[in-house]
Amino acid sequence: MATDAQDTGLPPNPLLAGISTERRAPPLALVVFGASGDLASRKLLPALERLASRRQLPAAFAVVGVARTEMTDEEFRDMCRKAVPDAGPSWEGLVKGFRYVSGEYASAPTFERLAQVLEEVDQARGTGGNRVHYLATVPGVFAEVAESLARHGLNKPSHEGAFVRIVVEKPYGRDLASALELDDRLHKVFDEPQLYRIDHYLGKETVQNVLALRFANAIFEPVWDRRYVDHVQITVAEELGVGHRGGFYESAGALRDIVQNHVLQVLALTLVEPPATIDAKGIRDEKVKALRAVEIMTPDEVATNVVRGQYGPGWVEGEPVPGYRDEEGVAPDSSTETYVGMRLRVDNWRWAGVPFYVRTGKRLPKRVTEVAMQFREVPHLPFQKGQARGLGPNTLVLRIQPDEGITLRFGAKVPGQEFRVRSVSMDFSYGAAFLEEAPEAYERLLLDAMVGDPTLFIRADEVEQAWRIVEPLLEVWAEGRPPLVPYAAGTWGPPEADGLLAWDGHRWRTP
Amino acid sequence: MADALAVADHPLSVWEGDGVTISEVTGALVRLRRGQPETATRTSSVTLVVVGVDEDEATAATNAMHRLGARHPGRTLVLVPDPDAERGIDARVALHHTEAEGHAVWSEDIRLRVRGPAARHLDSLIEPLTLPDLPLCVWFVASAPALHDPLVAVADAVLVDLRQIPGAAGDPAPALISLTRLAAERSLVDLSWVRLMPWRELLAGMFDPAPYRPFLDGVHAVEVCGLPGPRHLLGGWIASQLRLPSFAVQLRQEDHVSVVIAATADGRSGRFSVERRAGEHLVRARAEADGAPAHELVLALPTDTLPWSLGAALSRPYRDPVYEESLAAAVLLARR
Repeated sequence: MATDAQDTGLPPNPLLAGISTERRAPPLALVVFGASGDLASRKLLPALERLASRRQLPAAFAVVGVARTEMTDEEFRDMCRKAVPDAGPSWEGLVKGFRYVSGEYASAPTFERLAQVLEEVDQARGTGGNRVHYLATVPGVFAEVAESLARHGLNKPSHEGAFVRIVVEKPYGRDLASALELDDRLHKVFDEPQLYRIDHYLGKETVQNVLALRFANAIFEPVWDRRYVDHVQITVAEELGVGHRGGFYESAGALRDIVQNHVLQVLALTLVEPPATIDAKGIRDEKVKALRAVEIMTPDEVATNVVRGQYGPGWVEGEPVPGYRDEEGVAPDSSTETYVGMRLRVDNWRWAGVPFYVRTGKRLPKRVTEVAMQFREVPHLPFQKGQARGLGPNTLVLRIQPDEGITLRFGAKVPGQEFRVRSVSMDFSYGAAFLEEAPEAYERLLLDAMVGDPTLFIRADEVEQAWRIVEPLLEVWAEGRPPLVPYAAGTWGPPEADGLLAWDGHRWRTP
Repeated sequence: MADALAVADHPLSVWEGDGVTISEVTGALVRLRRGQPETATRTSSVTLVVVGVDEDEATAATNAMHRLGARHPGRTLVLVPDPDAERGIDARVALHHTEAEGHAVWSEDIRLRVRGPAARHLDSLIEPLTLPDLPLCVWFVASAPALHDPLVAVADAVLVDLRQIPGAAGDPAPALISLTRLAAERSLVDLSWVRLMPWRELLAGMFDPAPYRPFLDGVHAVEVCGLPGPRHLLGGWIASQLRLPSFAVQLRQEDHVSVVIAATADGRSGRFSVERRAGEHLVRARAEADGAPAHELVLALPTDTLPWSLGAALSRPYRDPVYEESLAAAVLLARR
C-alpha cells in the first residue's frame, strides 16, 4: 500500500502514524455510473457504509451518482439512506455530501454537468481531484462511458499527485473478440494501471486464503504437484435457479457467467507457482502463466471433455422447483446451459498428466465452492485386504464457501483388538479460528480500488487468456455439439458428467 | 464492533478444588474436555494470564474473555495471589463453548487463588498451564509491574491499563514513568491508549482533506480534556507527533475526553475538535477554517469497552513506537 503522502500529493499527516495499519482510503470522489441500479443499492452502498463505520473512509469523501433515472441530489441521498437501513451514525454525515447527475451516458451535457459537480465536490469536501469511476451499468455502455469521460477530460488527473481510476464490472466481453474490442476501446482512453476489472470472487477472504495456505506453509507445497496429486476437482455449485435474472442468464449461460471468471480464477490460484511477492505484479504474472498452461481444447476434445446441461424440474431442499425453460424470461426452447462440467489438462512441469475436473451449475443440491485435491495411493499398503476396507485416498479440500475451511482426509486405526484402518476427516474452520469480521468481497475490492492496490483485480492479459480457454467451447456449442443434456433440479448435474471422470477411473466427490 | 462480540456463551462444565496441585488442575482440564459429547476441533490463538486482581475483578476479566471467546479463543488463567494466607492453591477450571455464526469455539478458564509464599512466585505456576507454541499475554489489571517482575520476563506481551494504576488518578507522572521504562524493554499494550484510538483516528482524519492539511504545520494551541492519565497520553500524542512545545498543550479535568486544536495556515485560522458529549456513545469530530467548508465525522463507540479494548489489545500485542513517544511527552506534561 502506498503511503499517505504518495497517494495524495499532500504534505504528510504525522497524526496518522501508527493508525494507518488498518487500510484507509485517501481523499477522493467515487463516481458511480448506474447509481440508481440494483448493484449500487445491494452491494456498493452497504459496502461503503461498512467501510465508513470501520473508519476506512476519509472525511474528504463523496459519492457522485450518475444514471439515466431522473433524481435530485436529495432523492439520491434518500436512496442511499434506504439502501442501508441499519446504518451507523457515520453514514448520515457522509450521505449529506453525496451528489447526483442524471442523463444519458453518451450525451455531452451529462458529462459537462458531472465535471462541474466534481469540481464543486472538490471544493466542498476537499477530495483533491482524486476520482474512482465505477461502472455499475449494463455492460453494453462500459466503453461509451469511458469515452465520454475522456472527451470531458475526466480520464486523467487534473494535477500531479492526483489519481483517476476506473472500475469495470463483469462480464468483461461476451467472447474473446468482444473482450479484446472492449480492451482496445478502454485502452485508448485509460492506461492499463488505471483499469480495475472486478471479479468479486477474488475479494472473498477464503479465495485469498488459497494463497495463504499454499505459500505460508511448508507442508503443503512439496506435495502440490503431479508426483503426489492424482487429480483435482473444483466445484462451484448453487442451489438457486436463475430467479428473476432469466433474461440476463439467457444471453450469458454458466460458461460466461461463472466459468470464464470465477472458476478460472480459482483454478489459477490452485495452479500458480509460488510468486516472489504477493502483490499486483507478482501474483498476476503467475496467474497468467498458469492460465497459459491450461490446454486449449480442439473441437473434438470439446465434444468428449465437456458436458453442458440444463436443469429440468425437480426438488431442492424439500421444495418443488420449475425447470429452467419454465423460468421467467427464459425461452421455452432455450439452449442456454445452466451446468458445465469439464476435464482440463494443464501442460507444465508441475501438473502434466493430472486431470482437473471442473463443474459449475445452478439448481444443484447445495451452495458450495471447493477445491479438492485427491492424492495418489501409497506405493504399497502393508495391510491385509480386509484390514483396509474403509480406507480411501488422502484428500485435501479447500472449502471456499459456505463453511470456509480446510478438510484433510487420512487413514487412522479403528480402536479395538483388530488392526483395521479407515478414513477420517479432520476439519479446520476459519470461522472458528478468527471471528474477526471478515470484510465482504465488495468492501474489500472497493477499498483496494480506492487505495490503489490492483492485486485482486483482473489484468488485461488474464481476461484474454481466460477467454482463450472457453472460446473453443463457445464455437463448438454454436454448432450444436455436444448436445445440451438435461438434469433434474436438485441433483449433481447430468449423468453424462460422470462419464468425464469414469474415463479416468474417478468419481465426482459429494461435497 | 460490538456486534462481532455478541455471541451465545455457555459454561459447559466446571471443576473445583481447594488445596490442589497443578497436575490435578491439568488433569481436570483433560477430563473436562474428554467428557464432552461433541468433539469440536480446538482452535486457540493465545494464553492470557490475568494478575493482580481481587475476586470481583477476576470475574469481570473472565467475562470479558468469554465475550471475546470467539475472536481470541484460548486459555485464560486468572491468578489471585493471597500471600498472607496459609500455603495452598484453590482452583476452579471451567470449559466454555461459544456459538458464533454457527461455529463452535472452545475455550477454557482457570482461576487459581494462590495462598502463601507461592503468591510471590507466580511465574512458576504459569509454565505448565500455558498453551504450547502460542503467545503468552500477561495482563496486570490494576498495576504497573516492575521491569524485573518474573511474570514480565515470561510474557510475550504485557497488558496494562494506565487508568487503573493506583495513584494515577491523582498524579499520573509516576505511573507514566514506570510505563515508559517498561515499554522500552517489552511489548507493552496499554488499554487506556487503545481506548483513545477513536479520538486519534477522527482527529487525524480531520486533516485528511486537502484544504485542511496545511494547518498541521501551524498548530499553536491544543486543549485536551479528560481524566488524568488518558488526557496526558492524548496530549502527549499530539505534542510528540506534531513536534509541539509542551506549553502549547493545555490539559483540563473532565469526565469525557475531548480535544480542540487551534491552528493557522496562510493567514487563515482553523479549529479542529473531537469530543464525546455526556450521555452519548458517540465521538464527534469537526473541522472548520476560514474559506473552507466545515467537515464533520461521527463515530459510534463500543458500548462495552472492556471486551472491545481487550480484543484490540490482543489483536496487536506488539511494541508501538507512537505510544512510546506519546508516553515520553505525557511525562513532560504531567511534570509541569
